[in-house]
Amino acid sequence: MSTAVKNQLRVCLLSVQYNIMREMVNKVTFLTSVGFMVLNNAAILAQWFILLRLREDVGGYTMREIMLLWGLTAASFGLAHILFARAFSLPELIIGGKLDAYLVQPKNVLVSVITSSTSVSAIGDFLYGILLMGLCGLGLREWLLALLFTVTGTVIFTAFALLLGSVSFWFLRMDMLEGQVVMGMVSFATYPDGIFEGVSRYLLYFVVPVGMAVYDPVHVLVSFDAAMLLRVLGYAVLLTAVSAAAFYRGLRRYASGSLMGARV
Amino acid sequence: MRKYAVVYRSVLMENIQYAANIAMGFFNYFVFIFIFIKLWEYMYRTPGELIAGYTKEQMIWYVMMTEMILFGSNAGSVAGEAAGDIRSGNIAYLINKPYHYTLYLLTKYTGEWSIRLPMYAALAAVIGRVMVGPVPGFRLTAVWAMALCVILGLTINAVFKLCISLISFWIEDATPFQWLYDKLILVVGVIFPVEIFPKTLQPLFKLTPIYTVCYGPAKLIVDFSREKCLEILAAQLLYLAAGGGLMFLIYRKGAKKLYVNGG
Repeated sequence: MSTAVKNQLRVCLLSVQYNIMREMVNKVTFLTSVGFMVLNNAAILAQWFILLRLREDVGGYTMREIMLLWGLTAASFGLAHILFARAFSLPELIIGGKLDAYLVQPKNVLVSVITSSTSVSAIGDFLYGILLMGLCGLGLREWLLALLFTVTGTVIFTAFALLLGSVSFWFLRMDMLEGQVVMGMVSFATYPDGIFEGVSRYLLYFVVPVGMAVYDPVHVLVSFDAAMLLRVLGYAVLLTAVSAAAFYRGLRRYASGSLMGARV
Repeated sequence: MRKYAVVYRSVLMENIQYAANIAMGFFNYFVFIFIFIKLWEYMYRTPGELIAGYTKEQMIWYVMMTEMILFGSNAGSVAGEAAGDIRSGNIAYLINKPYHYTLYLLTKYTGEWSIRLPMYAALAAVIGRVMVGPVPGFRLTAVWAMALCVILGLTINAVFKLCISLISFWIEDATPFQWLYDKLILVVGVIFPVEIFPKTLQPLFKLTPIYTVCYGPAKLIVDFSREKCLEILAAQLLYLAAGGGLMFLIYRKGAKKLYVNGG
């Protein structure tokens, strides 16, 4: 069992490694994409300097919490798109009948699918997130927590995209909705939860899981709360199980396309 | 001009067929507006408070109008098409057609926003009326001037985005430059009106495309004045002339160094 898991992990890492190597063929384009994504993200900090000039805090967040919020969101979103980018474009494979190539591989279908592509600009997102958290003056324990939450955030972002993408097994035209909801989730994740109240706050924790991916982790980093930490971990595991079950359930309905093509 | 009219008509007909697809984008627009309504409700703590000379209603309507211009025009598609054509080599087939490539793209873009923009304008009006209330002091008689400024603004935006895409003639991928341009427009013109920035920076921002692309048109909608309208229209015409000239120049220089792969 452990050998099978090790082999699967090795295949995943090799897949991501080859994806990145393929993108690095043109080094100038690669470096420009990564570097400009860092600059692109950094530009939005100007918004917070302006807002925090008007008020001492926004939704209870000072500049340090805003930087933690942005750092965690960028690092989690970035890592999800480095390791599991295909989870975010799953409907394209399902609707186009392009899953066949993965079904005949002697490895786990779901893992093979979601690790089959990498977004180069996401490396810039990830680096920016880590850099921003580095500027927050975190101690060793906080750093370990921040890295753990980057992983849980990555898992939650990916699992949520996978869950939405898997709906395409039942309904066509879900591709646009998946993209919109995931981007909506990222938009919410970059604003403090303190500005949302009532139903919208409830939705952000239990329907679109921004609260579990980013808000609760920021609260734990600011003021440690073991119950909140366990809730985030439990939610990440639960969402992963539900989305994997939805994928395999949907896969039973998958009808291959007649598209002829080669995977290189 | 007739060939461009034919292109415009065919794109218009195509987009009418896909109106439901365009409506799928309403979700993201609503998310953005919802976030900004909540953000400004938090920032304005007392009724009647002014921030940078704007009331809460004016500030939210300002963001709704700038976002409406960006979502309703989708200039990213025209820029993406130009960059894609150059990168893929497809430009070699398009360059010798009996039209100017950049004008062809701008005509297609106009056909697209002719359907998108009214849809987003209607959505913005509904969201605004329901969640914020009417625009304070809105002058219905000045709608034609506001519409003209919006149309000029989104055309200038497309021209500048095309200029950036045409850099693909020299470098493989101009997308990162598009990110920076978009972020500049977003932070300085879309999210905030120019007045919110430090006084020393405001004259500088008024010299950038931001003033003509989103600040100007949105400012007229939330706080119309005849003098401001004339000032913005004059700036837009200047920018359109300069941007258009730059676009033709880059295209001519880029097309000269086009290298066509065989096969």
